[in-house]
Amino acid sequence: MSAGGTPDFDHPPRPMAQRVGAILWPSFFAAGVSTMVCFALLDPLTLRDATFPDLDIGREAGYALGFFAFWLATASSSLFTWILLRPASRFNRRLKGD
Amino acid sequence: MTDPDPIPRKAAPGKPAPRRSIPLALDDGGSMYVSEAKIHPRDVDGMFQRLRTVAVWWLLGMYYLFAWIPWSDGSGGSRQAVLFDLPARKFYVFGLNFWPQDFVYLALLLIIAGMALFFFTSLAGRLWCGYACPQTVWTEVFLWIERWCEGDRAKRIKLDASPWTRVKVLRRGGKHVLWLVFALWTGFTFVGYFTPIRELAAHAPLAGSGQWSGWETFWILFYALATWGNAGFLREQVCKYMCPYARFQSAMFDRNTLIIAYDPMRGEPRGSRRKGLGSVLERARGLLDKATAYDYVFRAAHHHTAADNLVAARGNTSVLDPKAVAEPLPSFEPAQLGDCIDCTICVQVCPTGIDIRNGLQYECIACGACIDACDQVMDKMGYPRGLIRYSTQNAIDGRPTRVLRPRIVLYGVLLLALLAGFAWGVTHRSALIVEVLRDRNALYRVNEGGGVENVYTLKLINKTMAPQRYRIALDGPDGIHLQGGARTVQAAAEEVLNLPLVVEAPPGVSGKREVRWQVTPLTGRDEAASAAAAAADDATEVSVNFFGPIP
Repeated sequence: MSAGGTPDFDHPPRPMAQRVGAILWPSFFAAGVSTMVCFALLDPLTLRDATFPDLDIGREAGYALGFFAFWLATASSSLFTWILLRPASRFNRRLKGD
Repeated sequence: MTDPDPIPRKAAPGKPAPRRSIPLALDDGGSMYVSEAKIHPRDVDGMFQRLRTVAVWWLLGMYYLFAWIPWSDGSGGSRQAVLFDLPARKFYVFGLNFWPQDFVYLALLLIIAGMALFFFTSLAGRLWCGYACPQTVWTEVFLWIERWCEGDRAKRIKLDASPWTRVKVLRRGGKHVLWLVFALWTGFTFVGYFTPIRELAAHAPLAGSGQWSGWETFWILFYALATWGNAGFLREQVCKYMCPYARFQSAMFDRNTLIIAYDPMRGEPRGSRRKGLGSVLERARGLLDKATAYDYVFRAAHHHTAADNLVAARGNTSVLDPKAVAEPLPSFEPAQLGDCIDCTICVQVCPTGIDIRNGLQYECIACGACIDACDQVMDKMGYPRGLIRYSTQNAIDGRPTRVLRPRIVLYGVLLLALLAGFAWGVTHRSALIVEVLRDRNALYRVNEGGGVENVYTLKLINKTMAPQRYRIALDGPDGIHLQGGARTVQAAAEEVLNLPLVVEAPPGVSGKREVRWQVTPLTGRDEAASAAAAAADDATEVSVNFFGPIP
């Protein structure tokens, strides 16, 4: 172990398209697979009857809602991973005005 | 690992004197990967450590004891005061019981917890991390055990490096046995909040009758393993690499937030000195100006002193600034030195292994160990305390601190409103849930007299912890009425009643009509008065459709 500990290497920020893409695309893919598996076993109409029987939600709307719910969850997870992988220097910055 | 740069810099005339200097980190054999060195925090005593000890006893005391408190169950028996009965889908917290329908209060509680975190973080920094986070609290206990078995920091470092002698096996083994027993007890207590803990104790594998079920065994071992791994091994790495709060704390911080801060204007330039030199607060030098002081900090972070190298301080990222070049520090006359004697004890006591003199870093969990350590050193030197102290950035920089500022007021008001809403909501929950389901098989049927009948299932949930009686009535147009008239039913404490009921309409009623079910609690009143009150406010009403033949 060296006296310094932290590697003297600080990756510069990546392009915005890469950052956003790395969060949205894998989560989109995972959400798609999850939606497929989920609705292969569950009928959206059954889910509706068990939760909001008064709402007029058809199968297509159910699939879409399910997909976006999955995507929200997987994208949140990707965002969390991105935050944890940011180097310490992005957080330990000087205060504004110093 | 190679030695830090062994070649001292050559001094040019009139230039800074030679100073040993090493880069911030050395390349570890060409790989960018540097494994974590184990951090052995040095033992320290002081006000903040005593506060943390109190917090550990208080919080873990609640955790380990609450499961054992009995509470009256409302019908003469007793149950566990805090029990999350998952199979029955009911949560008991002392006098309160929560049903799945009360899920909204759990959500509200989480929002309140989040808002409280925002409020207290803005006000006083990471109080949560230093005093209340399970990660730090359990780590503290594991550290006590480690210290008891293996000795203080210096002894532990020596033991780490020593070969496997009999003493090392005994000390290490003893530590792990105690850790495991404590972790298993923690796992047992955890499961004891979901399965009544006294039954769980009675069914313990070696204690008596029967065995734990497979899932009970699994969760006890799982939670014990998590405790053992997190508090024994991962420790500060959880805070540094896994915790989201550490990452977004800066969004809640401002210059008026209480932080653990080193005062560079007073402390810099740091350096060892002979006894007898007074504090800068008492001699001619006084405080440095801000720019010089921060520049010395920056330089010291990049050119480690011999003392730094001895303790292998990590986490210097706060003064990483790719654009700035750190000049070596000149050598100072004793009269120029600040109050920091560069003993590095503040680094040695740090559970996350950072150097607080580099300024606020996201790795700092605000435990206050460095404050206590520095105060002890200042006492020994005869200097005033507070070179490292709880302060705000404004106060350190010599500006006034504002406690009441918009974000504090906003968070405070929101927090109070949410708390009031939660308290009101929990105490004013309806004690009765009424759901009406139509018979799924037939829309309607026509009876012998030509009347039209609809069948409903009335689901009554008595949420209270006492038996109740209810009057059930139906209010419908066009002579639609409950077959057999209004009736009274009895529900035991926390009972769910499913009542199939028939609603009848006279011949000729057709199409869709709306009818209203009315359920009135009767307990504690006299029947006649209740019947009159049945149509009044305290009836729970549910409107449903009644169907007859299409006209």
